[in-house]
Amino acid sequence: MEDHYNIPTAPIVTARFADYILKDSRSHGMLLRYSFPPHPVGFIPRSHLKDYIKGNDPYTGKPLMQEIIDALTKPLTEEEKNPVVPKRPGHPRLLPPDTEENLHRLFLESGWTDGLPIVLPTEERVAEMLTGTDADPNQVVGRMSIAYYEEKLEYTVEKVAVNAVMAGCRPEHLPVLLAIAATQHPSLPSSTTSFASMLCVNGPIRREIGMNCGLAALSPFNYANSVIGRAWTLMSINFGEARPGDTFMASTGHNLNYNNMTFGENEEDSPFEPFHVEKGFKPEESTVSIFRGWNVLGLGLGNAEEMAKVLRNLPSMAPTGTFVMDPLVARSLIDEGFKTKEELRKFFAEKTGYPPFAINFMVVGGQTNPLWITTDFVYTETESIDKWIPKDGIRKDKKPLRMPEPLVCKDGICTLPG
Amino acid sequence: MTRNNVVTVLDPRGQPSGVFGRRSSGDNPGTILSPRVRPVDDRESMEKLQMAERLDTLEGKLIYLVDVGFPGSKEFLEELAEWFKENMPSVKVVYKQKKFDPYSDDPELWEEIHANKGDGVILGVGG
Repeated sequence: MEDHYNIPTAPIVTARFADYILKDSRSHGMLLRYSFPPHPVGFIPRSHLKDYIKGNDPYTGKPLMQEIIDALTKPLTEEEKNPVVPKRPGHPRLLPPDTEENLHRLFLESGWTDGLPIVLPTEERVAEMLTGTDADPNQVVGRMSIAYYEEKLEYTVEKVAVNAVMAGCRPEHLPVLLAIAATQHPSLPSSTTSFASMLCVNGPIRREIGMNCGLAALSPFNYANSVIGRAWTLMSINFGEARPGDTFMASTGHNLNYNNMTFGENEEDSPFEPFHVEKGFKPEESTVSIFRGWNVLGLGLGNAEEMAKVLRNLPSMAPTGTFVMDPLVARSLIDEGFKTKEELRKFFAEKTGYPPFAINFMVVGGQTNPLWITTDFVYTETESIDKWIPKDGIRKDKKPLRMPEPLVCKDGICTLPG
Repeated sequence: MTRNNVVTVLDPRGQPSGVFGRRSSGDNPGTILSPRVRPVDDRESMEKLQMAERLDTLEGKLIYLVDVGFPGSKEFLEELAEWFKENMPSVKVVYKQKKFDPYSDDPELWEEIHANKGDGVILGVGG
């Protein structure tokens, strides 16, 4: 309205977001004249709203209505007439040398970690991590911001390697992290509604780097699943500038932000085509697929009709659903007569009223119970990992680090007939 | 490397790019709900944005109260309209609800306000 139609506006935002919105306005070169009533204005009695309007803006201490009138009538200042987007200085590549103890403190107190211990990204460790790809360390991988409108930070292959070291990764994990970084999506996008994310790896790399796709794949018993999920969040913090109350506004936050529900799809035990093949990739290609939403409901038991009922009743801000199901569930659905995910999608779309493309199915788990997890996650993107893998193959340690493999039935009695 | 040795480590943060996220474009309303659509702006284009000249007074003017759709916005703007009625009755206020969601553009509404010779807009309530 201001720029295109030359019509003055007086935007109103509750005082809780005053700092955030003023920064947002400044960084976009428009010094919009906001007024800030107390927070919140939703779900409160009318009498409170009347008092807010007659009272003062708690952020400025000035009468709210006078601010609104002034916003529309006070002549523009020179600063307002000549917008300047502030230019921020870059960071040097290396931090000032210090002791390990002090550097651990610096990383923690600067908000560059997730609060858990990290591995310090020394030059040697980062150089070793970079052996996990042939890509030039200075190659720009992407830009990211967790706050949708804010300035995006640019990151290189080396920056991804730095965060990989911090998360405890080995070079064999780096191609997966580069693919995640190439999506340019943060794992914790800023919203007062507290987003969660999910990450699924498909293709041969799952097995090569020892990801768990079977029993307890979503629990903390697998090195690759753990560090890859964690690294996505460290990258989101450091590339997306996540600062609680400043750029990150999730009211309660979400516990999935620690690891982002990271797993490999159990392609071997699934009767359906792998997820990445659905998205147009070849079975022999390795990919990461990312999702985001809010709700995860863990204990699903029953047939397709029951699954649809649960999804329909899952409160969400979006008409989307992604089921994460044990292979036993997938086989039961085949027994019910669904031959493909397309048929499933059609059925669930009819039952829920959601668009078919917004309903997804992933297969993971160890076949100890035919359970499914219902989420309202929306599918975001699938990115190829292969282009980040060295031409000589995945760079593994001589003796790769692995946690104990889950004990599984090897005589076939655990699975239903395929 | 012992505990008290001085070591050098790399800064983990990305670098400022001069590229900013942009609100969804007019021909693509509702894009905020789609994580796939990521329109961007750069520093130069944003520095060209101009604020509108201000009004000399609100008396006798047509002011649109635009509800962006957050909870409580409608009720707040209704109370705001009441305030104008009681305190500045010459101001003509018109309530409008923005389409889609709080984050999306509504170019048709802006065009309507312009076509109807709206003098100003009060937009809210973000929160």
